[in-house]
Amino acid sequence: MDKKKFSEFYDQNINKVFRFVYLRVDSAETAQDLTSLAFLKLWKTQASFSNDKKNQSSKISNHKAFLFQIARNQIIDFYRQKDKKPLSLESLGEIADFQVAKPTFSQRIELDLEMEKIKKALKSINPLYADIIIWKYLDDLSNKEIAQILKKKEGNVRVLLHRAMESLKKQLDS
Amino acid sequence: MQEKDIIKKIIEFKKIQPNHDWVIWLKANILEIKPQNLLHEKPRVRLASFSFINKYQKAFIPAFLGLFFVFSFSFAQIALPGNILYPIKTLTQDAKIYLASENTKPVVRLEVAKARMEDLSKVQNHEQEISEIVKIIKKDLGLVPQEIKKIDKKQIALDVSKDVQERSKDLQVMADKIILEENDKEELSRTVKNAQSQVLALIMETTEEINQCPSFLSNDLVELGERFTDIQNAMIQLPNDEIIKMKNLLIEASASLKAGDCLAAMEKIESINQLLSFLSLDVQVETSTPEKLDEESSIISPQEELEENDY
Repeated sequence: MDKKKFSEFYDQNINKVFRFVYLRVDSAETAQDLTSLAFLKLWKTQASFSNDKKNQSSKISNHKAFLFQIARNQIIDFYRQKDKKPLSLESLGEIADFQVAKPTFSQRIELDLEMEKIKKALKSINPLYADIIIWKYLDDLSNKEIAQILKKKEGNVRVLLHRAMESLKKQLDS
Repeated sequence: MQEKDIIKKIIEFKKIQPNHDWVIWLKANILEIKPQNLLHEKPRVRLASFSFINKYQKAFIPAFLGLFFVFSFSFAQIALPGNILYPIKTLTQDAKIYLASENTKPVVRLEVAKARMEDLSKVQNHEQEISEIVKIIKKDLGLVPQEIKKIDKKQIALDVSKDVQERSKDLQVMADKIILEENDKEELSRTVKNAQSQVLALIMETTEEINQCPSFLSNDLVELGERFTDIQNAMIQLPNDEIIKMKNLLIEASASLKAGDCLAAMEKIESINQLLSFLSLDVQVETSTPEKLDEESSIISPQEELEENDY
């Protein structure tokens, strides 16, 4: 993927990834950091694969699924390290010469009461169920793409989605 | 709340948007980074069972080569002409000859020639290889008498010649066993006979040389022995060191003579002569010292004493 293609891909997916991360971490600033890391990792990985001519079989088959996979891992890492060391753009700069201009892009996202309720419910249910619901209904990922991210079969994804909705409904009703 | 309503509400989350400036800033920053700078060398993946090869590569290669050579040399020792390992065997045999001392070289060379003849007697085909080896055998047999001649000490040369003669007795029988063309066979037989006759000639020649050697030297030695005994009897006060030295020289000269080393015997005899002449001078000087003269003059025979009293 060259710069132009990456740029197009970025434009198509930045909002989706940010939304997915934001709904899971509940902080615009953290969501920005984790989204930045996800895109940066994708850029690095695809660049190394395209240069590794000997091992063309290890190319990324679905960039979108791969990106969400990275983002999901970032969230998991974030919750693991939350108590130890908070992730920040400074640490990102240390990782890969990333220019840290310290922008003040954080913004308050206003949601109505019902949406806040759903957001809370999403945070309360099994994280896997929350991920699947966001990917399916918010980020418009197909079952196939979700299956690729989770490394599961499409049939399993359908079952998981059904259970996820049941779980969310139950949470909202309670 | 129905599932449809929930989905509707979830879709409304789409209005969550990141800050537009941040989106532009992030893209610009990521794309500014050159992919080459991001590359990390991908670790090479190897099968776990062979991963030790890389770790012990430096030791493994010499060890493997060492084992390979050991096995090659071991198997080469039972190889016959025509076998791919036979050149290694001939190489080992040549090395054995090269490393042998001057005194043992003729015997080693003969043994190698015999071993090669034995190898040839076990092979039926490979005419080309056989004729090549026969050439080498002939060359080796020709070199044996020449190498005996190079031995300095006559007695050793004689012993080696006799050993070679003893060992070469079955050469003719071995040569007959080799399947060769008539001409080649005759030529090999001739070479064997030549070598045997040359060695025999050397034995005779060397024996004669050894026997000729004592004709004048042994007389000298006997004479010196007698002189030494006389001097020893005459001069009891001679230092012990000198006596031992003389005795040793006499023994060494006798041994050299027996070994056919005339030159060494001559040198020893000359040394004894010099030593004897020195000792003789010492004795003369010693007998004519003033004290002795005084003592001698003070001694008066009983007859002289009587004469003096009469006077």
